[in-house]
Amino acid sequence: MFRYICKRMVYLLITLLIILTTTFFLMKKLPGTPFDSERFSLLPADQQAQLLEKYGLNDPVIVQYGKYILNVAKGDFGTSFFYSGQPVSGVIMGRIGPSALIGIQAILIGLSIGLILGIIAAWRHNSGIDYFTMVIAVLGVSVPNFVAAALLQYYVGLKWGLLPVAFWESWKNSVLPSIALSFSVTAMIARFMRTEMLDVLGQDYIVTAKAKGLNQFKVLMRHAVRNSIIPVVTILGPIVVNLLTGSLAVENIYSIPGIGSLFVDSIKTNDYSTIMGITVFYSAFYIFVMLVVDILYSVIDPRIRLASNGKGD
Amino acid sequence: MKKSKLLALILAAAMVITAGGCGFTGSSGGTAASGTEQTASSGAASSDTITVYDTNEIRTMVQWAASDTNSFTILNNVSEGLYRLNAKHEPEPALAQDCKISDDKLTYTFTLRDGLKWSNGTSLTAKDFVFSWLKQMSADATNGYSFIMTDYIVNGEEYLAGKAKAEDVGVKALDDKTFEVKLKQPTPYFIRLTTLPMFFPLNEEFVKSKGDKYGLDAGSMIYCGPYVLTSYDPASGSVMKKNDSYWDAANVKVPNVKVRIIKEQATALNAYKAGELSRVILSSSDVPAMKSSPEFSSNNEFRTTYLQFNLTDKTLSNKNIRTALGYAIDRKTLADAILSDGSAPATGLIPNYMYGNGKETFRELNGDITAFDAAKAKEYWDKGVKELGSVPTLTLLTEDDSVTKTVATYLQSEFKKNLGIDVKIDSKTKKARNQLMDNNNFQMAITAWGADYDDAMTYMDLWTNGTPYRGSYKSDTYNGLIADAKKQTDDEKRLQDMLTAEKLLVVNDAVVSPLFYRGSAYLTKPNVKNLVTHPFGAPIEFKYASLN
Repeated sequence: MFRYICKRMVYLLITLLIILTTTFFLMKKLPGTPFDSERFSLLPADQQAQLLEKYGLNDPVIVQYGKYILNVAKGDFGTSFFYSGQPVSGVIMGRIGPSALIGIQAILIGLSIGLILGIIAAWRHNSGIDYFTMVIAVLGVSVPNFVAAALLQYYVGLKWGLLPVAFWESWKNSVLPSIALSFSVTAMIARFMRTEMLDVLGQDYIVTAKAKGLNQFKVLMRHAVRNSIIPVVTILGPIVVNLLTGSLAVENIYSIPGIGSLFVDSIKTNDYSTIMGITVFYSAFYIFVMLVVDILYSVIDPRIRLASNGKGD
Repeated sequence: MKKSKLLALILAAAMVITAGGCGFTGSSGGTAASGTEQTASSGAASSDTITVYDTNEIRTMVQWAASDTNSFTILNNVSEGLYRLNAKHEPEPALAQDCKISDDKLTYTFTLRDGLKWSNGTSLTAKDFVFSWLKQMSADATNGYSFIMTDYIVNGEEYLAGKAKAEDVGVKALDDKTFEVKLKQPTPYFIRLTTLPMFFPLNEEFVKSKGDKYGLDAGSMIYCGPYVLTSYDPASGSVMKKNDSYWDAANVKVPNVKVRIIKEQATALNAYKAGELSRVILSSSDVPAMKSSPEFSSNNEFRTTYLQFNLTDKTLSNKNIRTALGYAIDRKTLADAILSDGSAPATGLIPNYMYGNGKETFRELNGDITAFDAAKAKEYWDKGVKELGSVPTLTLLTEDDSVTKTVATYLQSEFKKNLGIDVKIDSKTKKARNQLMDNNNFQMAITAWGADYDDAMTYMDLWTNGTPYRGSYKSDTYNGLIADAKKQTDDEKRLQDMLTAEKLLVVNDAVVSPLFYRGSAYLTKPNVKNLVTHPFGAPIEFKYASLN
């Protein structure tokens, strides 16, 4: 297990380097400079050169790339152009919190409701609750989260005044965005769980378990759920990454200072250092979550061996 | 079960990790401060807080790096210049109690008020102005605004280029209370310039002690304006409270103000209705429904959106074609029916209400020079086509935001209706559009310019350098008029130069075709009085506001 994780860590670094390199050169192809172009072009040529020089933008791209990689290796992500002078790591750290909080809450809500709905739907196949679950699932997948967000804001926030309309001031402010984001998670998890459970419930070992005289609940929880949950864990990986790294639309609707809008803005304004910083963060996080998912497989199903030689732990 | 326990454990761990950093209400100001704020100021409808918003982040609090209106707004309310704009947008003595101007109009001697203090208790002296003005005229200034000083102040340009020493620059502290400025040429609007954030003082000792950290959060700045920052987060906004050590604190009536960041118009409207905002800017679709509300009002900005023709283009080098395109646009319909957001139809390049001669505005003096006339448009078009020898195809370059695209589509329909031509629209991101224009790779483009200061020169100066972005317009007559206006000591003659130059640019040479002056329509809570919005520079002024 330890060796396996070490190996994966090496791959992680290589993957990161490839992503960094590609993004860096693609980013340099964006038109314009990080400066406000109308004002920038008004400056006399020597002042323009001075400014470019100050930020090392006069060097050939390959030199800029070399310098950047060296700095990143030292843990220095530079300072933001857009937020003049603010260190990129600080800007990103300040924006991850809100996105991560609503992301985690959305996953917790989505996962618990989704699993319960999925299990019940499969257990009571073709019953009222099954159809209800499927309707929820279709709605959850097909209604975009910004529509849900806007509706929740208008009714729960404004009309009924139960929760804050927007902003980021206390935990209460995080409830509506979390719910808005959780719909699609609920829907996806419920569907996967139901399909997989139906499959598992038809297996011989379930019949055996029932024949042994185990009660319904035990059969369901110990045998059926455990064997059905693998696909759910698989899709949980991308869902976690998606939600924890922010949702532009929902963040904008609730005026949450999250990382989704930071990423889009940094690209629009050619804020090179921030684009790179977020890219590093996103990719490292994604690769890390994938690793966790793989490890979870072996925990849930001991038949899955991660390392080819030696035992899983 | 084992797996669900493990899952719960991982999620719980993740939650613990993030809980520390989810920073409600501005994570930058430190943890101690933000806790107390939440309880103190929830809801704008309260009796002691005004809450407004901006759609863009507050990019920086460092005044030599700030170039956007949102940063200016905060700076203007937590700091102050020698003069400040009053409720009628005219300069009034602020940190300076008066100013003596020499007979040749080249030396300005400002006397500071007695007992001025920074928010940390240090005295504010003329040296603080020398330091900040020199900083703005040095290579440290990254806001692109150095020209606003170096163009006027003796040896400013030389200092910026590293060819002059600080003591040779025309800014001197004669004593703690006397600040002397020497100008290169008479500048009738110089007093008005001193109201801008670039001209605010900075305490050298404090700025240097903070180094790179200066202005990164509320604690790493000191203040001399009507308010002090209590928290500042670029992405969620800033909170300010009244500055008790401000010289005019007795006249600052609202104890707390807040600037939030809201990017969605619908969110802003909901927040306003829920009582969390004191003012909301309306989108054009909301205007008809709200127009009759007593909370409704609108204002005009010093910001002209115009059509820039590329004079080096094969087709548009023909003046008749350019004139025809200008005549073919019904600007009144554009502003009133299409935009309908408080914007006003352009009648010239210089926006309404901009300074003229003190009695009349520049616009009133120069009249309507961009009239709509479909018959003339067709006449000029036919003449132009005859000269060119064939009917040209035209492409209109535009930015890809929704307002500009709407304007472009309207122009397209006007050209179709009044000239019978099909104009292609090429919409690009702002950076991409600018690059095409800088590379002289366009025919005509919709662009806009917001005034830096209240004088027509902020516009007229732009067309003197002949860059592709300004259509490669190179006219000795025009440049002569502007150069003369810049050194003219006679205000009347200077004004005549400027009036002639505008006509030359818009009518005689048809280099640009002004379209509209941006405005905004908004609702303001009835308990908020005198929340002044300036048409340029730092728009929102909290100093004169009151709540009842």
